[in-house]
Amino acid sequence: MAEELIRMENIGKFYGRVQALKDVNLVVNRREIVGLLGDNGAGKSTLIKVLSGAVPASSGDIYISGRKVKMKSTNDAIANGIETIYQDSALVPQLSIARNLFLGREPTIGPAILGRLDTAKMNEVSRELLKQVGISKNIPPDTPIGMLSGGERQAVAIARAMHFDSELIILDEPTNNLGVAETRGVLNFVRRARDTDHACILIAHNIHHVFQVVDRIVVMRHGQVVADNIDPKVTSVDEVERIITGMEEEALL
Amino acid sequence: MNNQYFLRNLIAKPEFGPFVLLALEIAIFTAINPNFLSPQNISNTLAFTVELGLIALAMTLLMTAGEFDLSVGSVFGFAPVLMWTLFNSEIMPLGLAFFVALLVASLIGMANAWFVARLKIPSFLVTLGMLLVVRGTALFVTDGFPQRTWSAGGSFLADILVGSFNIGPFRIYMSLFWFVLAVLVLGYVLNRTKAGNWIQAAGGNPGAARARGVGVEKTKVALFMLSATLAGFSGIISSIRTSAANPNSGTGYELEVIAMVVIGGTALTGGRGTIIGTVLGIFILRTMRNGIIMVGVPGLAYNIFIGAIILGMMALHSWLERRHQAGT
Repeated sequence: MAEELIRMENIGKFYGRVQALKDVNLVVNRREIVGLLGDNGAGKSTLIKVLSGAVPASSGDIYISGRKVKMKSTNDAIANGIETIYQDSALVPQLSIARNLFLGREPTIGPAILGRLDTAKMNEVSRELLKQVGISKNIPPDTPIGMLSGGERQAVAIARAMHFDSELIILDEPTNNLGVAETRGVLNFVRRARDTDHACILIAHNIHHVFQVVDRIVVMRHGQVVADNIDPKVTSVDEVERIITGMEEEALL
Repeated sequence: MNNQYFLRNLIAKPEFGPFVLLALEIAIFTAINPNFLSPQNISNTLAFTVELGLIALAMTLLMTAGEFDLSVGSVFGFAPVLMWTLFNSEIMPLGLAFFVALLVASLIGMANAWFVARLKIPSFLVTLGMLLVVRGTALFVTDGFPQRTWSAGGSFLADILVGSFNIGPFRIYMSLFWFVLAVLVLGYVLNRTKAGNWIQAAGGNPGAARARGVGVEKTKVALFMLSATLAGFSGIISSIRTSAANPNSGTGYELEVIAMVVIGGTALTGGRGTIIGTVLGIFILRTMRNGIIMVGVPGLAYNIFIGAIILGMMALHSWLERRHQAGT
């Protein structure tokens, strides 16, 4: 029996007069990888922003492990174990790997008022995390993020999400602009996240990438969830594409 | 092999170019006029250099966070005018007037930050507007006339801010002590602390920083306040040293200060800053101003050299940045 982690109930979101989300219901279970698909403007990003505290919902409720929570800011989401990895904005290119990994939750040493970074600890944990997410090359933790490849950056962002006691990791287009080998690497990180008891929501334009790794697919269209229990093992890519574009309904009409 | 690696790393540092330029300047000016390195010239140059330098140090942190403050020159002029007006009108004692002037300066910084962080107006426009408001206020309050400052002599405040003493043949002002203290504290904050990490993140990728729970706006508020407070502090030091609180003083300093910061290697676009580089930038510009006069170049030609230095250093930093991006 799947254990429920996140429940979003009747989520609505207006931007001025434009309704971006309409009565959306979404459930994510523990150790489950959910693929969230939809065309441009379907409402995927807005839904993720609501769940990650980046924008407030206009209506509806969010429950985590059965407990109703308010998501007023990204800090609320992080405190509730939700980590979001945005496409290009997850990391600061000028900062080192270690400083990025601990950004916002930097360990300090000595008197609190001095706020001195515990760089030894940051570097040690970073080395360990880089190993865990499978960056085999010997990259020093003080290397600036700007010097890493796209795949390595995603790996660092995922490593960060896994480290801070998060329960749900949201990945927004993690395979965009990546090569074949790097994409394979990122999808492996997602599998590894599930193996370490994390749940994931994966948003990707490339349906084939989603099919390779998710347990369940949810499709959105025009701000609503139109299918929420597609099993990638028994459904074809073509069928999912038809649901995304709405051709399924047109065929019925 | 190791030596080669060390050398490449050294050259890739943003402070390397400014360091070489400063060394060249000193060597050339000394070769032409040996008096350039005389204790008297060094003492005189240091006195004003560190006053302007205090503003540049705070500006380094602000620019690392991705913002500018064009109002620093006007606050430099306004804070001493306010302090001396309060004191000369016998409204309050000098010590209290000093703190009130600094408080008002910090509130000017807070107002800048409010427009930038809350209303999302670019800091270039906000601080340009504030420059005019503050300068206009200073001129209006004083009717454009300088304030009397002679009564500062011998006061405790004057001693700790601009008292001077001799070390061998050098005459050293207390302002040098404040400058060194600011270099140490701000260098430590930027490179070694959690706040420094937030400052760099706020300038490098504010969206990512916000997503990690970093208080980007709070960080910027603190830095705008620091920038204005140090500009006011510096203006007060200057006014006591020169015995003049002129509502027009500090005009044009904002651009000179920004030039010092970018010459030192702080990225104009934010995200990367260096206090050591700014110290070098401060000395490059002030050495140039002093040196060209010492070697007989007309003072009016000063801006030609400054412009050339800015262009040259920007080209160098851009080249280093491209090499850095290419991982070579």
